[in-house]
Order: sequence, then C-alpha cells, then structure tokens
Amino acid sequence: MPENLRRRAARDPLVRLLPLLEVSWGRVARAVGLGTLTLVCAIGLAAAAAWLIARASQMPPVLTLSVAAVGVRAFGTGRAFLRYLERLASHGVALRGMAALRANLYDRLARSGADVVALRRGDLLARVGGDVDDVGDVVVRALIPAGVAVVAGLGSVLLVGVFLPAAGAVLLACLLLTGVVSPWLASRASASVEQRGAEARGDVTARTLELLEDGQQLRVAGRLADRTAGLRAADRRLAATTDDGARVSGLSAAVEAGAQTLAVLGCLLLGVPAALAGDLAATELAVVVLTPLAVFEATAALPAAAVQLRRSRAAARRLVDLLPESTGSRPAREAAPTGTLLELDHVAAGWSTSAPVVRDVDLTLRPGAVVALAGASGVGKTTLLLTAAGLLDPVAGVVRGEGLFVAEDGHVFGTTVLENLRVARADVTDDDAREALAAVGLAGWLDGLPGGLGTTLGTGGTDVSGGERRRLLVARALLAPHRVLLVDEPAEHLDAATADALVETLAGVARTSGRAVVVASHRLTPLDVADEVMLLDAEAPGAPARVLARGTHAALLGSVPAYRWAADQEEQAPIDV
Amino acid sequence: MRPLDPRLLRQARAARSYVLLTTVLGVASAALVVVQAFAIANTLGPAIVATSPGGDGALDRAEIVRWLAVLAGAAVGRAAVAWAQERYGRRAATRVVADLREQVVEHAVTLGPRPPAGAAPSDVATLATRGLDDLEPYLVRFLPQLLLTALVTPATVLVVLGLDWVSALIAVCTIPLVPFFMWLIGTMTAGTSERRLATVERLGSQVLDLIAGLPTLRAFGREIGPAARVRALGESSRRATLGTLRVAFLSGAVLELLTTLCVAIIAVGVGLRLVHGGIELVPAIAVLVLAPEIFLPLRRVGSEFHASTDGVAATQRAFAVLDLPAVAAGGEDAPTAARPGPTLVLENVTVRAPGRDVEAPAGLSARIRLGTGVPGGGRVVALRGPSGSGKSTLVLVLLGLLRPDAGTVSSTLPWEQVAWVPQRPAIGPGTVHDVVTDGREVAPETLAAAAATTGLDAVLADLPDGWESRVGLGGVGMSVGQRQRVALARTLVAGADRPVVVLDEPTAHLDARGEQVVLETVRTWRDAGRTVVVVAHRASLLAVADQVVDVVAREVARA
Repeated sequence: MPENLRRRAARDPLVRLLPLLEVSWGRVARAVGLGTLTLVCAIGLAAAAAWLIARASQMPPVLTLSVAAVGVRAFGTGRAFLRYLERLASHGVALRGMAALRANLYDRLARSGADVVALRRGDLLARVGGDVDDVGDVVVRALIPAGVAVVAGLGSVLLVGVFLPAAGAVLLACLLLTGVVSPWLASRASASVEQRGAEARGDVTARTLELLEDGQQLRVAGRLADRTAGLRAADRRLAATTDDGARVSGLSAAVEAGAQTLAVLGCLLLGVPAALAGDLAATELAVVVLTPLAVFEATAALPAAAVQLRRSRAAARRLVDLLPESTGSRPAREAAPTGTLLELDHVAAGWSTSAPVVRDVDLTLRPGAVVALAGASGVGKTTLLLTAAGLLDPVAGVVRGEGLFVAEDGHVFGTTVLENLRVARADVTDDDAREALAAVGLAGWLDGLPGGLGTTLGTGGTDVSGGERRRLLVARALLAPHRVLLVDEPAEHLDAATADALVETLAGVARTSGRAVVVASHRLTPLDVADEVMLLDAEAPGAPARVLARGTHAALLGSVPAYRWAADQEEQAPIDV
Repeated sequence: MRPLDPRLLRQARAARSYVLLTTVLGVASAALVVVQAFAIANTLGPAIVATSPGGDGALDRAEIVRWLAVLAGAAVGRAAVAWAQERYGRRAATRVVADLREQVVEHAVTLGPRPPAGAAPSDVATLATRGLDDLEPYLVRFLPQLLLTALVTPATVLVVLGLDWVSALIAVCTIPLVPFFMWLIGTMTAGTSERRLATVERLGSQVLDLIAGLPTLRAFGREIGPAARVRALGESSRRATLGTLRVAFLSGAVLELLTTLCVAIIAVGVGLRLVHGGIELVPAIAVLVLAPEIFLPLRRVGSEFHASTDGVAATQRAFAVLDLPAVAAGGEDAPTAARPGPTLVLENVTVRAPGRDVEAPAGLSARIRLGTGVPGGGRVVALRGPSGSGKSTLVLVLLGLLRPDAGTVSSTLPWEQVAWVPQRPAIGPGTVHDVVTDGREVAPETLAAAAATTGLDAVLADLPDGWESRVGLGGVGMSVGQRQRVALARTLVAGADRPVVVLDEPTAHLDARGEQVVLETVRTWRDAGRTVVVVAHRASLLAVADQVVDVVAREVARA
C-alpha cells in the first residue's frame, strides 16, 4: 500500500475504532463465504436453467437433462438456507463487535483521567447508543455485502468470460456501473442532503417547537397564521435540499436499473455473432445471455452500503472524539494538612487553562464545617466544586485533600432504590438505606413505593420526580465514605420549605459526624445555617469571578446591598414548585 | 395494521398525487419487464434454434435488430422509470410529510394550553419532527414496492398465462402460500420473539445506563468495577438478540425458499416440456425470464417491512392528534359584551390542575370591572395569591383559552382588544425594531420613549446591533427578563390600540430598577384609559391596583 494511502487509512475513524470491535476475521470470512454461496445458488440457478432450456430445445434424450434439472432444483432450495445462515452469521459478527465496542468504550472512559467530566456537557453520552449501533451496522450493511459482491461479481464475470471473454468484459463493466458508480452517487447525494439539510431541518424543528410552545400567545396576538406560513416556507426549503439530493440519487437509481438490461443487451450483441460464427455453442449462448439477469443481485445492496459507510464513519468519528487521548491514571492528590479535610490555596478553576471562570479562592475545611457558595447562575460555582472534588485540575493554585462531588444532575440508575444507594458504598444495608432516605425527607416516598427498597427506578421503572431525585442523590451522598461533601444546588426543583430543610439536614450531618459540607446555591434563604457564605461574582462582565464577600448569612445581609435585595425577593416570591 | 391508511390519502393532498405517480410508474415498470422478457426471448430463441446442431444457421437479421432495439429501449425505459421514482417520488414524499406536519402543529395549537394526554407540546414536537420523518422511508421505499406487488405480480402472471398455462398455474399456487407460511411462522413465534425483544431492550438500556452514569460513578470513585458487568451484559444482550433474529429471519427464509423453489420448478417443467415439444423455445425463454419478476416485488416488500411498521405507527399517532376535538377558542365565539367598560362576572370558577390533586383556582368569584378606554378611565386589576394558586390559569380563563371545570365566566376578553404579555413572551423572528413595531411606521421618538419607559434601552445597550439585532429563531438568545422588556415595549408601541393589557408576573425576573420601570409603564397605561390586568407578587404592584382579586387553590381528595 502506498505510504500516503496507509496514512489516510490510519486516520479514518472507522479504522481507528476497529481494534475496539475485536472483530474476528474468521467469522467475517465465514459470513462472506455464506453470502457468496447464496449468490452462487442464485446465479447457478439462472445459468443451469438457461443451459437446460437451450439443451432441451434440441430435443435430446431426457436423461441427458437430469443433472441440470437436479441442479436447478438444488440451487433453488439451497439459496434460502444459505441466505438464512449468512444473515445469522453477519448479524453475529456485528453484535459481537457492538458488545465489545460498548465494553471497551466504557473501559477506556472509566480509566481515563479527568476528561470524563467533559461528558457532562453536551449530548455526547445520549448519542453513544445510536453511534455504537451505527458502527455495528457497517458490518451487516456495508462490509459483508461489499465482500460478497466482489467475490460473486468476479466469479460470474469469470463464468461468462470462460465462454466468451468479450461478454465477460461487458458484464464486468456493467457490474462496475452498479457496484461502484451507483453507490458513489448515492453516497454523494446523501452527504449533500445531510449537510445542507441539517440547517433547514434545524429551522423546521425550531419553528415547530416555537409554534407549539408559544401557540396560545400567537393565537391571542393574531400571529398564528403568520407563523404557520413561516413553518410552511421552512419546510419548502427543506424539501428543496432533499430535491437537490434526489437529482444525484435519481441518477444512481437510473444507473442501477438500466445496467442489468444493458449487460444482457451487450451479451446478445457479442454472443449471437459469435454463435453464428461457431465460436459459441447454442447452450453456451443461452448461459452467456441469461446469467447476467441474476448477477446484479450481488450489487443491489451496495448503494445503501455506501450511504451506511458514510453514516457509520461519522458515528465512529464522534466516538473517537469521545475517547481520551491517554489512558494513564491521574497523579494522586496532595493530602490535606493535619486537622483539616480539604484545603484550597489560591485556586483558579475553569475548563481551559487560558480562561479561568473563578480565581483566587482560599478555603480550609475542618471537620464539622458548613460552607455555602452563593452567586448567580453561571458564575462558576459548579466549576469550583468540580475542581475541589478533584474531577477537574485547578487552573492555578493547589487543592489538598479529597471530596465527593454531588452533581445537580447526578445519575439515577435504572435499578432498585437500594442498588442506587449502594453506588455510594457496596455494603449499604437496608437499615442504612432507610435511615438515609428518612434524613432527606423521603421516608413517606419510600413507604409509597410498590416494592420498597427493591423498587426499580428510572427507565422502565417507577418515575422519579425532580424533587425526589434531588433528595435521593443527597441521601446517596450521605451514605458515601467520603468526609467532604461538595453539593451542587441541592434546592433545585424543590419547594422552598423542603429545600431549606434539605440544606439544614446536610449541615446537621456535617456537624454531628465530623464531616465537612460545601453547598452551592443560588437560593440564599437556607444559607443561614452555614458557618460561612462565600459570595462569588465577577467584577466586570466577562472577567473571572472571585469571592466578593464572605461571612455569615446575617453579616452579608447587613453589609452587601445586592445580597440583601436578592434575599428579600425570595421572601416575597417563593420559588415555584 | 393496515399497510396504507386511507385517511392519509384523504387528509394529505400531496399523498394522493404521490400514490398516483407511483402507480403510473409501477404500471410502466411492469410493462417494461414484460417487453424486456419478450425482447430477450425473441433474439435468443431464434439464435439458439439457428446455431443448434441440425439448425440451418440462418437468422432473420432485420427481426433480430428490431428486437435488440426494443431491448435497448427497455434499458433506457427502466432507467428512466427508476430515475423518476427516485427524483419525483422523494419530492412528493417530503411534501406529504410537510403537509402532515403543518396540519398536526396547527391542530395541536387549537387544543388550548392544557391539551389532553398524548398531545402535550413535547409529545407533539417529537411526533412532528422526528416521528413524521419515519414516514419518508415508508413512502419512498415500502409503499412503491407494495403498489408494485399489486400491479406487477398479477400483470406478469397474466402474461405468463398467455405464454404457458402450466407455469402460470404453478405461480398462482405458490403466491398464496407465501402469506400463509409467513402468518403461520408469525403466530407460532409471536410470543417468543416479543419476550426476547423485551430482554434485548432491557439489556441494551442497562449498558447505556451505566455509560450515562459514568460521571456519577467516577465522582464516587467506583467507575472501574462495572466494566466487567458491561462486558457480561453485552454478551447476554448478543445472545438474546441472536435468539430473536433466529426466529425473525425464519419468515424471510420461507419467503425466499418458496419463491426460488417455484422459479426452479417452473424452469425444470418448461425444460422437460420443451423436450417433448409441449412448448416453443421463445415463450419458454420469456417464461424463464419473467418467473423471478413475479416474486421480486413480494420479496422487496418483505425486506422493507420494518419501514412500514414505523411509517404506519407515525401516521396513526398523527391522526390520533388530528382526531382530538379542538377547544373552541373563547376569543372567537365569546359573547360580544366584553367591550371596555363593562364588567366580567366570575362565579365559583374552578380549574383542576393537571397531574396534581389540586384545584387552582378553586371556587373563585369576582366582578372584574374594566376601564372605559378614555384617558382618566383606566383601571389596574391585580391578581394576587401564593405560587401555584392558579393566577396564570385564571388569566387563561379570562382570555378564553381554557374552560373552567366548574363555575361560569360571563364573558371573556376579545383577543383583538388584548395585548397579553405572558411569563415567557414569544419574541421574533426578526430584528428588535421589527418585533417592537410589528411592521408599522413608528416615529423614532416614540420608540425611544417606549424603550426608556420599559427598560428596553438597557437591553439594547447589551445587544450587538442595538435595534437591528436579530432575535428569535437564529438570532441572539434572550433571557426571560429581556424578553419581557421587549414584549412590554411592543405592547406600548404596536399594541397601543389594544385597550386591555394582561401582564403575567412582569417583575419576577427584574431587579429593583426593572421593577420601578414596570410600575411606571403600568401607570402610563392607566392614565391613557387602558385596563391592566396584572399577576402580581410584590407589594409595589399591588399598591397601584384599583382592584385586587385574591386567587386561592384547594387540595382535593385523591380520586
């Protein structure tokens, strides 16, 4: 292979992902072999039937036809069986690959460094399932059909070529039309539709959502007809991109449909004169002319295969991007100084080293400490907590000690309540679990569950409301062996009274068990239980936030007017449930 | 399950022309298949006869050339039909989808702010965007094959009948066996494959669940353990899936076995009868070429079957939404009494909150007097109550968008006289200028004054292009507070001729200065004689009200 071609192949995301699929080439060969035999039956049926009829027309003794007659029936029967086995074999290869890919993806992600935190952002994870399926599909829909087409196509060219080389060449040319040109056109068409259609599709989706969400206001304001017309126009633009693609894919379909007849025509044009000249027996002429009718089944799947290949490559690219560059483990954290649990020393936190979101944070947590981070949404409270927990490297400064980050959107697994709590610690007992759930005010909820602690939650199980979920996540954190809990927005999705009680519970746990708790909250009222409130804010728009003021809740109410005003608003307007 | 819902043809006009086009192309393609078979038979047959041992080696060359020309024509024709199906079929299919999308969205909006289950905006959005896209493969791939089965299969059988009745009889006997065996296998395996499919789905979702929960597991330092579990789950998932496929592929195998065997039997039968002179060579070749074509569409229908289930399901969901009765728009059929000046009388108005055992508002009775519309005759009516008591719901009732579950409203506010600023106002698409003026000619001073009164000037200062910044679809994103200021300014400028203004929590997202601005605006409106109905939490807004309506909710016993 030329050097540049090899380098291009190495860059192909599908090739890079291949080792993770743990493909067994023996199994692939078996599937391709079975697929080829299937086509051998189809082509053999056509060839044997052609010979049979041509020979029969010469009215020979019936016995001379018996081999051909048996062959025709055998090919007719064998084809269905072989095809069944081939489908099972190729799906087996694909399923093995998908299972291995999922396991390897999980393994790589789990063993990677801090990068996994980036998973929290975007919908990358949501797409992993579909992407893995798409990469697996490449085996069934592209790899094996292509292999079968090459073997069976060349085989039939050889068969025809043995009788009449020129006819073999015609067949090869027509097979190249349907096997290469037509798939290439189909792939180009789908690429252009997907690229150019993405924008139009996004526009249609946005307009649909707007109409559905704001429909009532638009009705009252008398703008509904206007917006519906806008949707119609957007749909027309989307149709136009599909239409442009159809110009090319139409060509692909035309090539595919016309090539078969063209091959028969070519074989007739070459075969009849050859037969008249005595170079070709009458029976051979029949085989040369009628075999091509069956051969094109080999390439019929290839346009779809080309489209699938492109789609799978895009999916593979997303998965490769997801994979961490290195799999090395992260250096161990410096331990916290004696007598403290966690120390932040001039820490700056952020997602990129060049632009910290928060800077100059000093904080020392001793056993029993309760600290609150206050500040508007988006000021960088979460980023700071992630850094303190060791899930994100500090941009500057040093973090000593370790903590447990309790995410606002922590995952509730699709398993039992007890197993969900055991994520914190493998040896959580039923009593531990009940106690923790009661501490966060979920005792009543637990009593209402059909299977108690054994109730399955999440997808396919009992639905968990936003508020119940928040409290469940906190209960899980309480059960963890960690001595520092870094809790992000515990009050989100809760009504005011429950929210305040939850923060109080966290503070109580810290004080009685000698743990330390940091709570990030944009709601200020519950923060009076904290020993210290750190108010984060940026001095200017776009600048990193710093600790603008720190002190007890009461002290900040007195000294910071903006803090006072915000707290007053909460008193007057309790947050909506 | 019907493979083609007749309502699709009735409701979507584009669908009718699509089916018509596909039918025409189907007939053309059937004709071309037959022509091709005859052309091949009429060239190959004489050539074989001429070159066989004992043949005279003579050929009617003109005749051969004529048939070869016909064959070339058939090649071009088949290419043209395939091109037209792809080129215009796809276009028509996208039209059908667009047509249905528009109908579904338009109808969903008329279902009012509290649509019945299954028609919630998020459900309809999923249906209208991704769901209806399933219709495209159904229309582009499955439906044409279905029509071809209905056209090409009988047409080819008829032609074969004309050529050789024995072969036609074999085919006619085989065709009914196909659905019969598929039905037999389907009923025999239905339970198993459904159970297995459920297992497959459960196993698959468990793996994805673990991957999705990776950040959480990592936070607890427990991410390594489940790796072995992911692998084991993948292995069981593979086994379960293969088990399902073993059954699922059976019907395909039977279909293939029957059709290929039938072709083989026809071929052998024709061959043996040729020996005894029971059939001529030319029709024999034509039958041989036509036999596989009888079954080709049937086999393709089988392989595109999944596209049909998705497409039919999407169609049914769309018609389920279209079949829901629209909530009569109060603003359209309301009594005309509600001209500014009179009074809206509410008696015992009660609305059940969706998904909660709460009535909000509960048993509300009030007489809401509206302003006169002339300067000095304006009024401010405040709706007061704790969160969740039903203030916004009451606004919906006053606007006639929602019918109370109990109680009566004497009349609702006519829409053409109302400017409504909900909690999250709809903005754009367009420039801020276009949105605020709603396309009218407005003096710059008036605009500047409105911006200053509503605090829009501060918002404009932050926007990249000021008044010319694009908002809404594809424009700059706006916070709810910014949206409200734009909507307030629009109500001042473009809504100046609407005598009733309804504001829902206008100060919820504002700071002290913003709150002052809203108060100023409300006073301006009252001085101009307009009626302001305002949902209010804060003392400052309640203080300027001429009338305060207290809204309370009530818990009801679980049904």
